[in-house]
Amino acid sequence: MLKMNIYKRILTGLFIVLGLVSCNQHDGTSKILLNEVLTDNAANFEDDYGIHSAWIEVFNKSYNSVDLAGYFLKVSNEPGDTISYIIPKGDVLTVVRPRQHALFWADAKPNRGTFHTNFTLNNGHPCWIGIYDSGNKLLDEIVVPALKTDESYARVQDASKEWEIKSGSTTKYVTPNTNNQTIEKNEKVEKFEQHDSDGIGMSLTAMLVVFSGLILLYIIFRILGKAIFAKSESTKQHVNMKQEETTNKCAETSSNEVYAAIAMALHEEFGGVHDIESNILTIRRVHSPWSAKYDALRVIPRKKQ
Amino acid sequence: MGEFVSFIANNLADFWTYTGFCNATPGHLVMILVGLFFIYLAISKEFEPMLLIPIGFGILIGNIPFNIEAGLKVGIYEEGSVLNILYQGVTAGWYPPLIFLGIGAMTDFSALISNPKLLLIGAAAQFGIFGAYMIALEMGFNPMQAGAIGIIGGADGPTAIFLSSKLAPNLMGAIAVSAYSYMALVPVIQPPIMRLLTTKKERVMRMAPPRRVSHTEKVMFPIIGLLLTCFLVPSGLPLLGMLFFGNLLKESGVTRRLAETARGPLIDTITILLGLTVGASTQASEFLTWDSIKIFMLGALSFIIATASGVLFVKLFNLILPKHKRINPLIGNAGVSAVPDSARISQILGLEYDPTNYLLMHAMGPNVAGVIGSAVAAGILLGFLM
Repeated sequence: MLKMNIYKRILTGLFIVLGLVSCNQHDGTSKILLNEVLTDNAANFEDDYGIHSAWIEVFNKSYNSVDLAGYFLKVSNEPGDTISYIIPKGDVLTVVRPRQHALFWADAKPNRGTFHTNFTLNNGHPCWIGIYDSGNKLLDEIVVPALKTDESYARVQDASKEWEIKSGSTTKYVTPNTNNQTIEKNEKVEKFEQHDSDGIGMSLTAMLVVFSGLILLYIIFRILGKAIFAKSESTKQHVNMKQEETTNKCAETSSNEVYAAIAMALHEEFGGVHDIESNILTIRRVHSPWSAKYDALRVIPRKKQ
Repeated sequence: MGEFVSFIANNLADFWTYTGFCNATPGHLVMILVGLFFIYLAISKEFEPMLLIPIGFGILIGNIPFNIEAGLKVGIYEEGSVLNILYQGVTAGWYPPLIFLGIGAMTDFSALISNPKLLLIGAAAQFGIFGAYMIALEMGFNPMQAGAIGIIGGADGPTAIFLSSKLAPNLMGAIAVSAYSYMALVPVIQPPIMRLLTTKKERVMRMAPPRRVSHTEKVMFPIIGLLLTCFLVPSGLPLLGMLFFGNLLKESGVTRRLAETARGPLIDTITILLGLTVGASTQASEFLTWDSIKIFMLGALSFIIATASGVLFVKLFNLILPKHKRINPLIGNAGVSAVPDSARISQILGLEYDPTNYLLMHAMGPNVAGVIGSAVAAGILLGFLM
């Protein structure tokens, strides 16, 4: 009963914590995102056939591989004229590795391979592009504005929310099939090198977290220990009181003759069983965690005589 | 006939270029001597034999000279070689969590649950990690390398390997060997510091016996411990998750077979593979550098700082504790993890000054708290620097 109550309290606590945490949920859980689009390709990236075509870059933002086979790319150059391209199955190249890209050529030549779609993109006009999973669930969509030749419309960084037009300048460069922004430095490390070159800030922060975690654990187990101890004491007292009451009642109602009759009956019941003793003594070893741990220890280093 | 003899001679000369004798460098010989020294320490002095034998022999395996240009696929750094495949457990970081599973399944947290304030000693001893981190930065290591080196002060081999494989893979061999070497040398490093920082009166201080811990508390500890520490530091999940999972297998009382496997055959297998491959990763060409020497120095410093901070914290803590609840400062060293050796040092030193004062049970509290603390610290470093 006591355990049940404690488990109930823990479960209630957990639900409260989960409730609080769930308030902080956010959207954007799709693993596959549209990452960069180029609608008018004159001198940009060329395909395996040496042809410059419009392209759509897809990014796997998760840390798992995702197979795009069966997914849909949908394009609408004008309202009401949506064209779908089903990414074919059976090609190992449709598996996009974690944090990697896949590039689709919008050249309306699907017989040239898995990554050549059955549609083209309208040069110089806005268009809508969407990517759907095999269950026809929309994963990501983007309205691409009218772009000039060799300009791309891309997320500022891979998977970031903000999009921008990349014109090919030194800061806004077009990046087919690769990261939208080349990462040349570890920002976190640079920040530490700049603001905390002697490591005091890091040490203080980290020790604060270590202490907070273990102090929390201390508080919980201190309270829990006290609660369990108090509960077991009260249960013990309750049991003792009940036992006392029963004994008193028995003492009042039972006479010595009754006890004698019970004893005789018990003797008769169990007496026969022990006519022949096995003469085997069984000693049940009491398991002690300390002795068990000691078994696992190595022998104390000692000086050889 | 002359042509045949010259053919045989050419063959032998060619064969000679493949032998270890031809390819040996002074570095290989130095490392072989280091390996032999480790094996000597393990067998003759019985310093952590279960770690030093595999590591020492691994050093011998890793430093057999061979013709690297020949593409024999025998070296640990040659992709596709058997040693390289076994080494993936270290580089990909999945050996350490499995070791933690075994540690969880063999650790009894009763001492900690019965006296939870001992948790704080485990936290205080983590100063060793961050002291070494600051000194490493001063010595010119970048923050990621300094973090990986600092974790040696956590006195926890698997944690050190796990973190260095993520933050500074090129230093992992030196960090792992340094961590395990100093863990083996705990009986040499800690006692002088403990004697230096305590008075005779403090050393004979008796602590109240721990209360009895109920089964419910033992079952709840790994669950609450996991939820609390991992919500706070999710990057410590691989280590803390496995540690607490192993402990639940042990304490639940209904998964005895699983617990037996985790603390027996599984941890033994992983210890063999981990020790051997970490040892073999100390190939002279990769290992014998100034950085390795610096790492060894920093490792020693981090152990000293961790031990001192644990002992000093207890002394400080005693100032605010009521007299009957005071803690013997000799158990402060146990906060550095190194389960269970540092707890045994507390016991041995305690018995030296009072043959009837048994500190082992009390010291196991900060000792296992140190395991949690160092895993949390590793998670923090990973979160900040990765």
